[in-house]
Amino acid sequence: MEKFMDADKRMTAREAVARFVRDGDSFVFANSLYCMPLALTHELIRQGKKNLMAFQQGGIEEIDQLLLGEVIDRLVIAYNFRSGGPRIVSPLDRALKEGRVVIEEMTNHTLLSMMKAGAMGYPFLPVLPGIRVTDVVRRRGFLGDQRFAEIRDPFTGAGMLVVKGYNPDFALIHVQRADRAGNGQLWGAMINSKWAALAAKKVILSCEEIVETGVIMSSPHLTIVPAHKVCAVVECPWGAHPSEVLGHYDYDFPFRALFVGSAANPDSARAWLDEWVHAPADRQAYIEHYGRRFGKKTLDAFRAKPFKSVPADYGSTFSLDWDEEGRSRTMGLTMAEFIAMLGEKGALIDGN
Amino acid sequence: MGTRYTIQELIVARAAKELRDREFVVIGQGIAMAAGVLARKTHAPNAVILTEAGLLGIDPFKVPLHIADPTCTRGFTYSCDMIDIFTTVLNQGYVDATFLGVGQIDRYGNMNSSYLGDPDAFTIRMTGAGGAPEFVGYAGRAILTMSGGTFVEKLDYFTSPGYLTGGNARYEAGMPAGSGPSVLITTRGVFKFDAVTKEMFLSELHPGVPLEAVRAEVPWDLKVADTLKTTPAPTGEELAILRSFAPDVVMGRKLQLEVVMQQVIKLLTQNAG
Repeated sequence: MEKFMDADKRMTAREAVARFVRDGDSFVFANSLYCMPLALTHELIRQGKKNLMAFQQGGIEEIDQLLLGEVIDRLVIAYNFRSGGPRIVSPLDRALKEGRVVIEEMTNHTLLSMMKAGAMGYPFLPVLPGIRVTDVVRRRGFLGDQRFAEIRDPFTGAGMLVVKGYNPDFALIHVQRADRAGNGQLWGAMINSKWAALAAKKVILSCEEIVETGVIMSSPHLTIVPAHKVCAVVECPWGAHPSEVLGHYDYDFPFRALFVGSAANPDSARAWLDEWVHAPADRQAYIEHYGRRFGKKTLDAFRAKPFKSVPADYGSTFSLDWDEEGRSRTMGLTMAEFIAMLGEKGALIDGN
Repeated sequence: MGTRYTIQELIVARAAKELRDREFVVIGQGIAMAAGVLARKTHAPNAVILTEAGLLGIDPFKVPLHIADPTCTRGFTYSCDMIDIFTTVLNQGYVDATFLGVGQIDRYGNMNSSYLGDPDAFTIRMTGAGGAPEFVGYAGRAILTMSGGTFVEKLDYFTSPGYLTGGNARYEAGMPAGSGPSVLITTRGVFKFDAVTKEMFLSELHPGVPLEAVRAEVPWDLKVADTLKTTPAPTGEELAILRSFAPDVVMGRKLQLEVVMQQVIKLLTQNAG
């Protein structure tokens, strides 16, 4: 795996996608349902990326939007919301029927296990075998036999179901905060974020705010993706709208409903995409457009009220070996006595 | 005139009674979450709700839009991830029950939540498997509800394992002893599963529903309990809790779409300049 060691990886979403995404790549959403990297997703559409293969645990609107933008043609997925109910024909329904996308049906557990195996550098991982009787395992999609296999437990001889490990070309993730090098901190529902981000060969990260590395160093338990996995850091307030980011904003239900309503019909879906993805140059322009279209107060209504976590105290005595009087706590000697002792014991070598 | 309630309220209140105190229950959105929370607010205050998003011990203040939203994450006791939920929690036997909404079901409680119609030429692509196959496969029992789904002789797509071909087939296929669907609550009645054959039978009829109305929805010769009971109507207390916690679940999807879309338009236009 490539190690990304630049100290400052800040760039715009446009630069990040242009530099690190190739047509035909595979990628994984390293957020599912919560804190969705929708600004980055829209940039894939805006730049007209083609023939991507997406791994996603549970989609809300992003899969439909990528299909409307004709960005993805292969989809490995466990769940996709049907907010409009069974009577609405979704963009996924249309794309499948018209043969513009092929789908591989997985379960949440088995799809994420593919990522976890890939993240750990293992060829495969065992999964709960009871589902081998279902069509999820028995029917094959475009991945063919490169998903499930039956092996024997080498210790007991019992049959086991395993999934193949995958390493997508890149991951998209949105987090609350990161430093310039890309140490990304996420809290809230952890879902698939860790394993999806670590499975990918590189991570394109957007965040609500860039913070000093000192903030990261005082709260390392919140770092979900370490800097060496991250190729680009995009500071992007409202980067997950209309999904939610704890500590920043709630999901925007009316805006989501507007998309679901528009997506049911190909013409209104295209109009939605033109207005909210193609016309705004970036996320800032999108938010400004939202303000003009629906009023800034409408957006402000979704801003989060605080619910603070009690800080973890990483304190210790922080004492050096040498006490306030310059005497070693472990030997009871001063520095001069220490060096004299080394000489007396014959431990010092004469230099030239 | 007695209590007036919606069909969703009847289903949720009946489903909630299936959960026992101190149990671990995996819950999805909608009716399932409403049932779990109602149980915690009534007879099962120490039940522990978890979602596959990696949240354990949640205490939602309103019915969530999805299983990871901020109504679920204002105070919970254990933040893990989806792999942990399926392995260190579910596979180790800690999950007593799972609530699940049904799209299509057969007589042995096998379910389809993926495609309506032949998967290669489907009419509707449903949500997909999500966590259902493993939860139904490995939780102590599955409490099923069905409000828009159908009974079929043969599933269009086999997503989640009930009792397979009946009898011991499920356990011979490796799923934990004693596990499986324990009850199915529909808009007409309550179904249970025969202890030996594992075929479902009608156990309760909802108030005012004739037996023929149930038979008309089931394409096989449905077995019926010797003493058919009437589903208890929701109490005033249950209705008050549900209407406060989950008004959008209570009104059902069709009404919800209508009423909520009107409000969406209002919200999006009231501040427009």
